[in-house]
Amino acid sequence: MRYLAQRFVHSALLLFAVSIFSFAILQLAPGDYFTPIRLNPQISAHTVAALRSQFGLDKPFPIRYGHWLHSVLHGDFGTSFAYGTPVAPLLAVRARNTLLLTGTSLLLAWLLAIPLGIGSAAHRGKWSDRAGGIVTSSLLTVPDLVLFLALLLLAVRTGWFPTGGMMSAGFEDLGIGGKARDLAIHLFLPALGLVLATLPPLVRHVRSAMIEVLEAPFVRAARAHGIPERRVLLRYALPVAANPLITLFGYSIAAMLSTSLLVEMVLSWPGVGPLLVDAILAKDVYVVVGAVMLSSVLLVAGNLVADALLFATDPRIRMD
Amino acid sequence: MHYFSRQIRGFGWTDVLTQRQKLAWAVVALAAFSGVVLFAGFFAPYDFATQDRDTPFAPPTAIHFVDAGGTFHIRPFVYGPGDSGQSAEGSAQGSDQRYPLRWFVRGAAYKIAGLATSRVHLFGVERPARIFLMGSDGYGRDQLSRFLYGGQISLLAGLIAAILSVSIGILVGGIAGYYGGWIDELLMRGGELFLALPWLYLLFAVRAALPLHISQWQVFLLLISVMGLIGWARPARLIRGVVLSAKERNFVLAARGFGASDAYLLRRHVLPQTYAVLLTQVTLLVPQYVLAEVTLTFLGLGVGEPMPSWGALLTSLQQYSVLSSYWWMFLPALLLIPLFVVFYSAADALQELHKSVPL
Amino acid sequence: MNSGPRSNGSQLEPLLRVSGLGKHYVQRRPFSRAKIAVDAFRDVSLAIFPGKTLAVVGESGAGKSSLARCIALLERPTTGTIELAGTNLAALNGKALFSMRREVQLIFQDPSSALNPRLTACEIIAEPLLIQCEGTNSQRRARALQLMEQVGLDPAWERKRPLEFSGGQRQRLAIARALALGPHLLILDEALSNLDAANQTLILKLLTELQLAHSLSFLHISHDLRLVSEFADDVAVMYQGRIVEWKSTRNLFASPEHSYTRELLASARSVESILLERSA
Repeated sequence: MRYLAQRFVHSALLLFAVSIFSFAILQLAPGDYFTPIRLNPQISAHTVAALRSQFGLDKPFPIRYGHWLHSVLHGDFGTSFAYGTPVAPLLAVRARNTLLLTGTSLLLAWLLAIPLGIGSAAHRGKWSDRAGGIVTSSLLTVPDLVLFLALLLLAVRTGWFPTGGMMSAGFEDLGIGGKARDLAIHLFLPALGLVLATLPPLVRHVRSAMIEVLEAPFVRAARAHGIPERRVLLRYALPVAANPLITLFGYSIAAMLSTSLLVEMVLSWPGVGPLLVDAILAKDVYVVVGAVMLSSVLLVAGNLVADALLFATDPRIRMD
Repeated sequence: MHYFSRQIRGFGWTDVLTQRQKLAWAVVALAAFSGVVLFAGFFAPYDFATQDRDTPFAPPTAIHFVDAGGTFHIRPFVYGPGDSGQSAEGSAQGSDQRYPLRWFVRGAAYKIAGLATSRVHLFGVERPARIFLMGSDGYGRDQLSRFLYGGQISLLAGLIAAILSVSIGILVGGIAGYYGGWIDELLMRGGELFLALPWLYLLFAVRAALPLHISQWQVFLLLISVMGLIGWARPARLIRGVVLSAKERNFVLAARGFGASDAYLLRRHVLPQTYAVLLTQVTLLVPQYVLAEVTLTFLGLGVGEPMPSWGALLTSLQQYSVLSSYWWMFLPALLLIPLFVVFYSAADALQELHKSVPL
Repeated sequence: MNSGPRSNGSQLEPLLRVSGLGKHYVQRRPFSRAKIAVDAFRDVSLAIFPGKTLAVVGESGAGKSSLARCIALLERPTTGTIELAGTNLAALNGKALFSMRREVQLIFQDPSSALNPRLTACEIIAEPLLIQCEGTNSQRRARALQLMEQVGLDPAWERKRPLEFSGGQRQRLAIARALALGPHLLILDEALSNLDAANQTLILKLLTELQLAHSLSFLHISHDLRLVSEFADDVAVMYQGRIVEWKSTRNLFASPEHSYTRELLASARSVESILLERSA
């Protein structure tokens, strides 16, 4: 239990550091949201100053950070300059979309990686393993951007899939089944892209973890006892191989989140990614910070889940 | 981005070749490519910014050896643009006028490595014909030339950023590993912070901090610095590991017994043990950073027009019309794949080679 | 407490005298704040005489090696003094320590780890000279070649790396390096333990020659009583971090006093006695 508490505190500290970091980074920027407005001769300097003061942009850094932190802890993430609305609801919607995409892809990727990895390890050296290896390697070398653009090309050329967005026009009028189908067809390409981008290293790691375990003496002993291979794989080897894989799970969340940003941009999925990019271009400070914090929270949460899983499955950690 | 360490054994097809051979091929390929990119001015028939409003979105120019009459010519040629002018598709047979491919032609001026100027290009055709081996974009700019010049930007960005990251990595990892104690704790926790975050978001956050309206060179430098500054954590951790084990070696202790100073020990005995790791890290990081630059520019946050970073070449692909009608615009993306294959082959080979070298 | 093998109207002045030497390590238990002091050795008083060999035997463990490293100035003892030529080495710092390092050198048990695999033989041997800023490049090289000959290595091999030498040859390299600065005391930390019997004999022969030629003293840390009986003039027995007996070799083997010493001697049976037992 102490272990978990430690991890939790650690994560909290990490988030705290991230918040300071992101906030600080933005303050380093010369100029702010209102700088371009100031260039407009029709708007008086006085008005600009008033606007800045209204948004608290004229106070020194620690005070602004303090205010922000205080608000955040009360659920208020500030206001977006560009949208004129509070940041929190804006982020919430986008976050929901990103989570939908990332969550689905994470699930799919792991659901595929585990059997593929185990299969490769079990048939190590044979034709199927080598073929799999080549496919994995090829996928690994294709840069994510190129992969996503290729998917976009596919959508455009074949017309089988929509080229962006999360729902078609007239979504509201569809029944439940229709809505689900519409969502699925919009989700398909981005999810496919994410899965293809993150699957190869997962498969490789599962494969190598399994191979390492399969060479251990206790596995050989199990085989020598006449236990059928399938049972050996699943009941003996896999649980032991699970340890590094759970750690990997944590890392895969980070990778998935990172890559999701790009997928959302290329395939126009309305997640946090496009929001972030636009906010950067507009120097919409609170949105940027909010988005970065959000992704960090998701990440840290994911790692905590991985830690908890590790704690639950690996007796060695509990021994301390 | 390949967040996970790429320690996993590599490519199926190269099990046939030994690691050394693999590395040799990769290095040769990289050197050749770098050479071409470095002398982009020479190899590219056109400048990267020269627009030709007469031929927007021209498909790749067809090169012929046999003319309409059936005669074979040794010197390949292209057909000129038709009198009816340009137009995207099917303008190949615009006119009957043959324009032979010439070698070592005089064309637009360019600078070699920023120093000497030259006007000699490897190949070209006389006006009004054009030789767009990879087609042209919406402004009539030759994609091949832009690809080659773009390599200068993107590859250089990747290389410098990788070196920067690794340099910080040596510094931090070396100090943390050698001195241990609270310095080690502090530095490694700091590194954890960087490793724990989704790096793309971090990159964006930092990019957001940069003023949007600054000169291209400044953007370029800032971009490189930012990428380099973010990615030091993994190399630092690896180097720290090597330093930790190296400093306990008996030969370090022996040298201490002769009165060697910390600086001497680090320089002569400890840090040389890290060379293998350093090299592998650089080889892994360069493609990652090249990709980072390309992605940033693609999203509009990197080096802007008219600098032909590879990312800029890919931006037009976000438009429906381009994707549906102008397939050649996808070529730069495809060309990136073999480049990365080569990089990763080199990195894999290096990793395998250094695993077997006794420390 | 023993007063040493030569306490009966000693003719010789010891080269190095250790008095009340002790070292403890402070360890923190994982997950707790409690600190524990772990003794490596306590209250050690010994003397090493010029041109003679003192062996320290005892159970394997950090005690003997720790003692060796303290005397070799690679670690600092927590209590006690190490006197050489009137100076307390344990209390030295800075420049004084730097120059005193020339007097004492240590040879490690495993020559492979003690030699940097990236350097050539010549560079390895000349390194002490380099660190102590002696001579020019060519002078150092000349001295290194000279040393190679002294330890029985062909100077033509100066450019070879440690991996290209055999185990015995690597140890010779280490010895050559240790001699570079002209020390008066060489500490052999189980230096012969990793060698096969044939090599042991050869190296032992080399060391004896060197001892005679340069009037070297040796501090030989060992667990091999056979070697000790061949090579050492005096023996000190270490048990649980303390010296329990300290006599000349002959006296120790003839009339051991402490129970532990007797145990040690008893367990070190000769090949003949073993074969005799088995055939019975």
